[in-house]
Amino acid sequence: MILAIDTTAGTSAAVVSDGKILGFSGFEDPFGHAENIGRSIETALQQAAVDSESIRAVAISRGPASYTGLRVGMSAGVAFSTGRGIPLYGVVSLDAVASLHKPETDSDHWLVCSDAKRGELFVAVYSGFNDAGLPIRDGDPQVLKPAEVEEKYRGIKRIANPCDAKAVGIYAEKAIATGLDMSEVSALYLRSPDVTPSAGKRVSG
Amino acid sequence: MTDIRVALPTDFDELVRMEKDIFADHAWSKTTFVADIEAVHTTYLVAFENNQLVGYAGLASPAGSFQADVNTIAVAENFRRKGLASELLKRLVELATKAGAEQMFLDVRADNHGAIDLYKKFGFEHIDTRKGYYRPEGIDALVMRKGIYQPLVLGIETSCDETGVGIVRGNRLLANALNSSMDIHARFGGVVPEVAARAHLEALQPTIETAISEAGIALEEIDAIAVTNGPGLAGALMVGIGAAKGLAQAINKPLYAVNHLVGHVGADILERGSLQTPSIALLVSGGHTSLLLVRDLLDDVELLGETIDDAAGEAFDKVARVLGLPYPGGPEIDKAAIGGNPQAIRFPRGLSLPKDMAEHKYDFSFSGLKTAVARYVEKAEDAGEEINASDVAASFREAVVDVLVTKALKACEEHGVPRLILGGGVTANARLREVATQRCSSAGIELRIPRFSLCTDNGAMIASLGAQLVMAGREPSGNRFGSESTMEVSKVQSL
Repeated sequence: MILAIDTTAGTSAAVVSDGKILGFSGFEDPFGHAENIGRSIETALQQAAVDSESIRAVAISRGPASYTGLRVGMSAGVAFSTGRGIPLYGVVSLDAVASLHKPETDSDHWLVCSDAKRGELFVAVYSGFNDAGLPIRDGDPQVLKPAEVEEKYRGIKRIANPCDAKAVGIYAEKAIATGLDMSEVSALYLRSPDVTPSAGKRVSG
Repeated sequence: MTDIRVALPTDFDELVRMEKDIFADHAWSKTTFVADIEAVHTTYLVAFENNQLVGYAGLASPAGSFQADVNTIAVAENFRRKGLASELLKRLVELATKAGAEQMFLDVRADNHGAIDLYKKFGFEHIDTRKGYYRPEGIDALVMRKGIYQPLVLGIETSCDETGVGIVRGNRLLANALNSSMDIHARFGGVVPEVAARAHLEALQPTIETAISEAGIALEEIDAIAVTNGPGLAGALMVGIGAAKGLAQAINKPLYAVNHLVGHVGADILERGSLQTPSIALLVSGGHTSLLLVRDLLDDVELLGETIDDAAGEAFDKVARVLGLPYPGGPEIDKAAIGGNPQAIRFPRGLSLPKDMAEHKYDFSFSGLKTAVARYVEKAEDAGEEINASDVAASFREAVVDVLVTKALKACEEHGVPRLILGGGVTANARLREVATQRCSSAGIELRIPRFSLCTDNGAMIASLGAQLVMAGREPSGNRFGSESTMEVSKVQSL
């Protein structure tokens, strides 16, 4: 039984076992991550009618997503797994979305996009599913301007469904079963902090 | 209706009379008794019925001893067997618990069976006998002890660039683990919020694990979790809040969201075993310059003043840059100031002129000072003159320290408060410590500067404030709080 946490869009937590969602709690508010994260986990556990001792692993959404919110879910997952001494798995949120959603298309390829703010998109390209039913991603997720997406991936259909803890949990469970390496649990920022060392400036004219 | 309260000087005569009535030849002399009531480490309670003193009780609990002694419990002859002694003892146990005592001791006459039964009911155990202690009859004294459980609290601090996880048991420090991202910020000349928030997430698990192993406890033993939810950098705070909420769910423990600045004041509890109030607190760091009047840590913290522009630590960083020195500026300025003349250049003391005192008596301003230093340096450069960097550093530092200490001591004087607590990273500054020590000493003010690891941002002070809330029986904060970047100092806990 795993606890999945996602704060890439809203805030949600899910308890997943054998491909079933036993408990889920989600808040759509795109800003209230810190306020909602505790309630999400608590409600998901309550709905599943299990206590925290029954959870055997934690899966967290690594993004890419808006940084401040993303970190709230990740830090909660890190602390939960540390508190219980259980494994922590990192899931690329675009992979989780791709595992559940594929656009109607004759092509093997499709794109999963999400809003990267500043007029840009987080983008990953997929080309079918493996035997375990997990989407096959081509290369690393990127951050691109819409025009660049048009140019690079002309004609490839895209989806932009938001990620949530259900998708993360279902994905993680399958991935754990197939032995996929999900030990990377750092946040996928895809951009460096927006800062440069500044030169000193004069105060007198 | 019995009314129980802390003894006041106006009660002393009656107390002495009643002590004589009850204990006759064994009674303490007036001098000894009053001295004990007035001692810093004792609390005496008095019970009145219809304005008549009917009982009293005294507790001794020296700071840092983690113990409390029942000095006396006395009930007037006509008011016995009505549960008053039991009520007084209950209050003493509460006081001892709040004071952070882990054990409580008392002596009792071996032939006073009623009292012994009462003590046993409260969990006191007979641990030793003093043969023939009560003279002249030669009656034995039984020494009894009661263990007091103090809560084990883990605190998480992520309000700026330090990831801190601390663990305390009651007033006792067990662990203070820290990971700082200061080195990364050094490149940018100051704390970059996004860089700090990223570093917190990375540091979380190792810092929690270090704290646990330092304290030698298991996470399941923890009674409560405390977390800073303001004031501070929002993105950084949220990492700590996420962690605290995740951890609270994992181990099913209550969560307390606490004020970072009040946490700095509470740090002194871990240093001396308890906090003495009232106290003036001067908190100086790269993010804060606040002067507080603390009448009670949990219920009465008043902001007297704060910086209206740069924080004191920020001024050090900026002036270091003007002088071509690296970040963080405090230690660099300290080094540069060695051998410099602090009186060489009279830099301005912000908000210290009579016209400022009406509105900003206890506020600070350091941006004008920084500009004055920059102008001084630029003027010399333009004239092709060499500046004496040691004199500039020493004179600048003197201006900062002078204003800080002058305003803090003015607050002590005006509010009749005999002690000053320093907190925040700028307390590492050698000159601040020196000037504060000198001026407090001549003003007869007790100066408290906790060790440096408790002065800078740390998780232990947050755990400590959380423990105070638990010990005072406060409700946990629940699950809905968020970050409050600009939280007022009067709000100790977010619900």
